Amino acid sequence: MIFTIFKKELKDTLRDRRTLMMMLVIPMLIFPVIMNVFVSVSASFQEEAATKKIKIGIVGAPNNFLQTELNAIPASFGNKEVILYKDTLSMLADLKLDSLQLGAYVKLGFNTYLDSMKPAPLTFYFNATDMGMQERAEGYMEIIQEKAIQQRYLKLGVNQDKVNPIETTYTNIASDKEMVGKLAGGILPYIFIAFGFIGCMYPAIDLFTGEKERGTIETLLTTPVARWQILFGKMGVVVLSGLVAASCALLGLFLSIEVLDVVDNKEILNIIHSILSPTFIILLYSLLIPLTVFFAGVMIPIAVYAKSFKEAQSIITPLNIVMVMPAMVGFFPGVELNLVTACIPVVNIVLATKELIAGTLDFSLVALSFSVMFVLATLAVFVSYKRFDKETNVVM
Amino acid sequence: MIEVSNLSKEFVLNRQQRKELNTTEKTALAVDNISFKCEPGRVFSLLGPNGAGKTTTLRMLSTIFKPTSGTIKIAGIDAVSNSQEARKKIGFLTGSTGLYARLTPNELIQYFADLYGVSKKDLEERKERLYTLLDMKEFQNKRIGKLSTGMKQKVSICRTMIHDPEVVVFDEPTSGLDVITAENIIKLILDCKQQGKTVIFSSHIMSEVDLLCDDLAIIHKGKLLFSGTMSTFKENMKAENLTAEFIRLVHESQNA
Repeated sequence: MIFTIFKKELKDTLRDRRTLMMMLVIPMLIFPVIMNVFVSVSASFQEEAATKKIKIGIVGAPNNFLQTELNAIPASFGNKEVILYKDTLSMLADLKLDSLQLGAYVKLGFNTYLDSMKPAPLTFYFNATDMGMQERAEGYMEIIQEKAIQQRYLKLGVNQDKVNPIETTYTNIASDKEMVGKLAGGILPYIFIAFGFIGCMYPAIDLFTGEKERGTIETLLTTPVARWQILFGKMGVVVLSGLVAASCALLGLFLSIEVLDVVDNKEILNIIHSILSPTFIILLYSLLIPLTVFFAGVMIPIAVYAKSFKEAQSIITPLNIVMVMPAMVGFFPGVELNLVTACIPVVNIVLATKELIAGTLDFSLVALSFSVMFVLATLAVFVSYKRFDKETNVVM
Repeated sequence: MIEVSNLSKEFVLNRQQRKELNTTEKTALAVDNISFKCEPGRVFSLLGPNGAGKTTTLRMLSTIFKPTSGTIKIAGIDAVSNSQEARKKIGFLTGSTGLYARLTPNELIQYFADLYGVSKKDLEERKERLYTLLDMKEFQNKRIGKLSTGMKQKVSICRTMIHDPEVVVFDEPTSGLDVITAENIIKLILDCKQQGKTVIFSSHIMSEVDLLCDDLAIIHKGKLLFSGTMSTFKENMKAENLTAEFIRLVHESQNA
């Protein structure tokens, strides 16, 4: 009987355009669209930044050290044109009008300061609303400063090695897979949780509140089928919808990486391929299924209680924030799966998935996370049953 | 056969309901100790003004609600302790019944036949008979959402009768329907009577009651004001017609 109800509800759900949009279309398309836009926008910004010619104004003596060195920096560090100004006021006026992007005030006798081994004063002017100009100036100055230091070492006859007493090497012992898992691994469960929740939402409201609102539940309750069987049949569709929506989102993300070439680093691509093994997928779903059942179990009592689609939606939508917020913990570096975090619902799934991706899995903690979610899911199902069994909730 | 004895139903009122009903009482007695019997091959009518307890009574008969006290027997089965078995014997149709708009009549009938455990052979036979009788063949594969009210009503009738119930419960089945569409229901009730089924229906429309019922019960504020045959009711009438007598009885009980 459960399967008969499940089959009918699934057919009904798959014919509902709104649910289909939320379950299949949006999750599947959101990442390809976002990533495509992101990649093309950032590529066009990079291209613009690379080809953009900036004008740098200098107030100072002709052929000062800064002017000479700026002109010597190759165009590969960004196109530029150096213009000499006679006074600061006109330079600043041009900077305000954006006909100049950077301005530098080089004190008279700048070269003499350098020659006499004194710090040469230099002021850069920029408009902070013109993004990236400070960085551009800092980049140029890093090159020029290095050259000035080298010149001083030479003049003083000092071996550079003698003023650098310690040569430090920093070696990362974490594997690339671990790095990707710990730093970016939070994204995967976050996507799953967010879309899993949205995927459950519409079928839960449609199959419970909707049936009440449309007046079809009364007839269903007069059939010789136990209420728990009706509940389980419907709940199966809610859980499946959540899983399908989340899987579609992940599939969309995977397709964006594979087809749209958003990751052009081959090493990272290889890591992603090595992460996506069948064992990983099975373990991931075994963690996420109780979570989706828990979501369904939380939504169904609300959907059963609500008298209209609108009412159910107005209660469940804010709940989305409450449920998805803990998933953001996955983005914080340093938060690890331990005996405490393994007992916090949603957070435990995010952290366990991160560990799973990084390959640093402690099975006892994963088992604890799974058990916590399983108990909560069972509890949520029980609450759903109690609500569904309450006659005044089911019939209007 | 339906046998109801000392049936009561009390609802616990939440704060909002107490506010709506303008009462401080924590419970509301919707049905108060009523007893009646509906015989096979006869049509029993449950009459009463709005809020009298008709729908609650019929919902208890069809096992949607559990009674607070009292017993219900449906075709000899205790509907309170063995509700699942009793449901197999009941066909339930209300005027407010909705249908799954995204399914076709064929899919809907198949679904309910599966829920009632109707065999494939019986289903095909009954489908053929009911589709012909109700002239449903033309739209059997169209989505229900695209059907007219009359067509939907026919689908509802077919859904109610597909498991060949011994007892048929109609809760204001013609409410909101035009005369032509309501005629399908009238025909169905007469057809059920002819087949020896037990029929109980609630209605506001006195002409319908006069036309169809053999026995009737009048209920007001959960209490039974009259229960007996239609002929006894007519014989003891103090008013000119059925409607006037019904109003008189209700007013009399209010003043009592």
